Amino acid sequence: MPPPLDERRPTMSPQLARRVAILGGAALVLFAALFFRLWFLEILSGNSYVSQAAQNRVRKIRIEAPRGDIVDRNGRTLVKTRQAAVVQVLPNLLPAAERDLAATYGQRVSAAERVRLAAAAQLRDFDRTRRKGSRKRHRLNAAQTRHRRVLLRGSRKAKAVPLPPIPADPRVRRLFDRLGRILAIRPATIHRRVIQQVAQTPYAAVTVKTDIGPAAFNYLLERQAEFPGIRPEVRYLRSYPYGQLAAQLFGTLGEISPHELKLKRYRGVQPGVRIGKEGLEQAYDRYLRGEDGYYRQVVDALGRACDDPVKCAVRRVKPQQGQQLKLTLDLGLQRAATQAVERAAAASAYGARAGAFVAMDPRNGDVLALGSVPSFDANLFAKPISQETYDRLSSDAAGKPLLDRAIAGVYPTGSTFKPITSVAALESGTITPGTPYTDTGSFKLGPQTFVNAKNAKYGTINIVDALRVSSDVFFYNLGNQLYGQKGQVLQTWARRLGLGRPTGIDLPGEFAGLVPDRQWRDHGFRLYEQCRKKYGLGFQSQAALFKCGGIDRGYSAGDNVNLAVGQGDLQATPLQMATAYSAVENGGKVVTPHLGSEIESGQGSRLQGLKFPSRRTLGISDTTLNTIREGLHQAASAQGGTSADVFKGFPYPVYGKTGTAERGLNPDQSWYVCYVPNPARPIVVAVTIERGGFGAETAAPAARLILAKWFGVNDSAFHAGSDTSR
Amino acid sequence: MSATTPITPASEPPPALAGRQIRLRLDPLLVLAAVGLVVCSLIAIKGATADDVPGDPHYYLFRQAAFGGLGLLLMWGCSRVDYSRLRELKYVLYGSMIASIVVVYALGAVTKGSKRWIETPFFNVQPSELGKVLLVVSLSAFLVDRMRRPGRQTTARLMLLGLVPAMLVMAQPDLGSALVYVAGALGLLFVAGTPWRHFAALSALGAVAIALTLVALPAAGVNVLKPYQVDRLTSFLHPSDVAGKEGYQQQQSKIAIGSGEKTGRGVAHATQTSLNFLPEHHTDFIFAVVGETYGFAGAALVLSLYALLMWRGLHILTQAKNLFGALIAGGITLMLLFQIFVNVGMTVGIMPITGVPAPLLSYGGSSMLVTFMALGLLQSIAAQAREAGALKTRMAV
Repeated sequence: MPPPLDERRPTMSPQLARRVAILGGAALVLFAALFFRLWFLEILSGNSYVSQAAQNRVRKIRIEAPRGDIVDRNGRTLVKTRQAAVVQVLPNLLPAAERDLAATYGQRVSAAERVRLAAAAQLRDFDRTRRKGSRKRHRLNAAQTRHRRVLLRGSRKAKAVPLPPIPADPRVRRLFDRLGRILAIRPATIHRRVIQQVAQTPYAAVTVKTDIGPAAFNYLLERQAEFPGIRPEVRYLRSYPYGQLAAQLFGTLGEISPHELKLKRYRGVQPGVRIGKEGLEQAYDRYLRGEDGYYRQVVDALGRACDDPVKCAVRRVKPQQGQQLKLTLDLGLQRAATQAVERAAAASAYGARAGAFVAMDPRNGDVLALGSVPSFDANLFAKPISQETYDRLSSDAAGKPLLDRAIAGVYPTGSTFKPITSVAALESGTITPGTPYTDTGSFKLGPQTFVNAKNAKYGTINIVDALRVSSDVFFYNLGNQLYGQKGQVLQTWARRLGLGRPTGIDLPGEFAGLVPDRQWRDHGFRLYEQCRKKYGLGFQSQAALFKCGGIDRGYSAGDNVNLAVGQGDLQATPLQMATAYSAVENGGKVVTPHLGSEIESGQGSRLQGLKFPSRRTLGISDTTLNTIREGLHQAASAQGGTSADVFKGFPYPVYGKTGTAERGLNPDQSWYVCYVPNPARPIVVAVTIERGGFGAETAAPAARLILAKWFGVNDSAFHAGSDTSR
Repeated sequence: MSATTPITPASEPPPALAGRQIRLRLDPLLVLAAVGLVVCSLIAIKGATADDVPGDPHYYLFRQAAFGGLGLLLMWGCSRVDYSRLRELKYVLYGSMIASIVVVYALGAVTKGSKRWIETPFFNVQPSELGKVLLVVSLSAFLVDRMRRPGRQTTARLMLLGLVPAMLVMAQPDLGSALVYVAGALGLLFVAGTPWRHFAALSALGAVAIALTLVALPAAGVNVLKPYQVDRLTSFLHPSDVAGKEGYQQQQSKIAIGSGEKTGRGVAHATQTSLNFLPEHHTDFIFAVVGETYGFAGAALVLSLYALLMWRGLHILTQAKNLFGALIAGGITLMLLFQIFVNVGMTVGIMPITGVPAPLLSYGGSSMLVTFMALGLLQSIAAQAREAGALKTRMAV
């Protein structure tokens, strides 16, 4: 029985067999690809994916570490940390209406900025094509000028974007109204802060108010559900128990900037961390900052915290408070010095308001007191400060209390410079201690005549006498003689003693000042001449003065004569003068002034001493030093000494020099720099009073008050001197 | 068996087999692969979906188990059908496929922006899944009928017949199914012995079509594909660009699989899955769940089961007693291979995201039942081949 044909199993055609083989091969290749890829993902790179999965689900939430305190040399706390309640708004949880407003506001602001940039680019192109057009200066026609002016105006400032009003969404209004009532601020203010901050940094929390009371804090905390997007938080704020005292030294805190994040010294600091900006906070940031803690929270794909204790254990690392910074500063002396300078300013006949002081250990540069008057309440900067307050504190009208005049106030020093001239003259062999010179009351140099203050005549004197009575004529002559010597001896010695460059104190923002010399002046004069010729202005004309600056001639002997008595173009800070006088006291060592003394643990035990090796030792001969010391001592004690009457009855030997710096149209600036060589507690003090008049009038009595405090002399009278030399 | 049975060519419909005693046995390896995959699917779904439906940790598990059981029954049932009879029903099959896809437009429910489902009280039917089997069977029948006249005509007509439903589902939009249809049609042509130059011409046409849809037409303002589909298709080319949603999904899938390492993280620690970083973890990305939870070992086991499935499919293809059976077996096998490669390739980041489910692994009734139906057809082909072989052997004896 033959089987039906269709039941017979057809032998596969060779073509079909080939096709099936190809299919099988293709399947094999595809599976091999999948297997290989699996092997690659899971076996070869599994590690990296495990960590990616971990990063995926774990959010690290920072717990801010309190900063370390700053204490004075006796352990009294000058800067501490306190907890404060703040109210933050989380923009992503706000009702959509407000978020949208912020987004459009941000877009408008950046659009305005783009318009500004476009105008700037157009202006550049305009100027470039104009230059390219012809070598000769091409005069613009009126339309072009107008066009350019429009561009210029447009490129300077982005168009201000008006703040949108609070959205009509009742949820936003109700939220802001209620929050405003609780925090006692206007809803519009909340709205403004939110919109502006969100436009600037879209996802960051906006701090609406700092330092809210416990009642408001608890109220908000208990009613989180009623205030969506509002988060009461506890943050650390700086607090300054002594308010205005030494306020300029500490600096402020602020979130690390994108630029700072890239700096080596802030390596490892996370974005959003607050670091020290300016002052000691900046200089010792790495000790004071502490280590932030964190907790790791497991979140799901939507960012919701997972509350399953097994799957999502929360790990917590406690923050470590920063270390304590111990200063060399003496709180009592600082306070006394501040009061002394304030008294001196008040005593001035010329309406003085501002001044500065430095008290330092001349042996090692320990700064015992350093301050600037007027001051401000440092607590103002513990919270976000308003622009108005900041502007007021920076204004001339308020006397620029933010300026630390002790390190950033640069002035001519008047006669306090004379010891430096003395060092240069004696060490260069220009004169000897006994070289006499007849002071006739005036010094002629070519067509110019330089005179003593109040036309005093001191007759034949040597250098000790000249320092005692502060004879300008004597030093004019020295300045002139030193001018004739090779190598700008006077400038060299001034620089060696620390003028014209930063002293290296551990405070940011120190000014270098200026020791005028030939190169500086001649360079300035070259620029002046170029500028003058470019605009076709007359030599030494009023117009050239305004347009091209005041360096309208090259260096001459007259400049050296002026410098010899601390006038002219010289600019120095009180701290530089204190450093120079320290060198006279300590035998020629230029110390590095410093405020930092030790790094301590939070409990006050010493962790690390801070070392500030002196910058250099000058080989000044004992003869020179003793001569100058004698002159300074006589100036403060002997008959006819410029500050002898100020220090009359003072039980410690004072070595000091008055100074009266002429400052153009302003009243003179009073200076006094002195030291007391005590084996146990030597001290150098520099005081300057802007518009303070003669050195003996205001600065010297202030210095006496400071010394009295330091040595425990029970005499708080203000001993104004009568000397009227410069 | 009577001697009066008319002799008909193999390519013609056979006479009714009524009254004949056929002992149908199932191919044991194919059953093993299918059951193994369903078990893997159930294990993966149990771990992945425990938190998905509040209060009912086994919602997806039980349903998928029911689908698996039903599917096995369906496979057994299909294996008893004489597949050769389906040749007569080709117009009915093709027509009902088109009709069911069209019905979706009228009745379909919108899920995640696309109409793919018809809702019934018990579960939602996805006609485009059923279409996969119907397409293979009906196109096989068309091909067998035209085997006498091979040529460009045949190739073109068959491609056209495949493209019509592909276009219809693509408009739902269901790009994945459309691609599966095209792959099935091409597979059938390949098994049927279409000349290589026809494939060359087809790929040239395809390239032009792709260029038109992705570049030229959008430039002219006509968008054939939705933007998300373009994103999906192109995002795997630049996976590090995590910004896009598609790139994000693929990145998360790779992280899930990679973090499984050799033996997996276990259900409790598979955070990519349990914290929802892995999208669609019980459907399209279930292979990534396996990879994360059971590591290379688990994923390789699943791949091996798939490979077993493919081997059996190709084996049955070679055993088929007639061309119709061979074509059906080839079409089904290729379609499954395409789905496996596209789905697994998508989870491991070497293929674009196209929304093709993993056969027998992904959660879903329509896909599960249709795949078992297809496997049932394979079983039927295998059984009849054995039957025919047994007869032949007996005859030879």
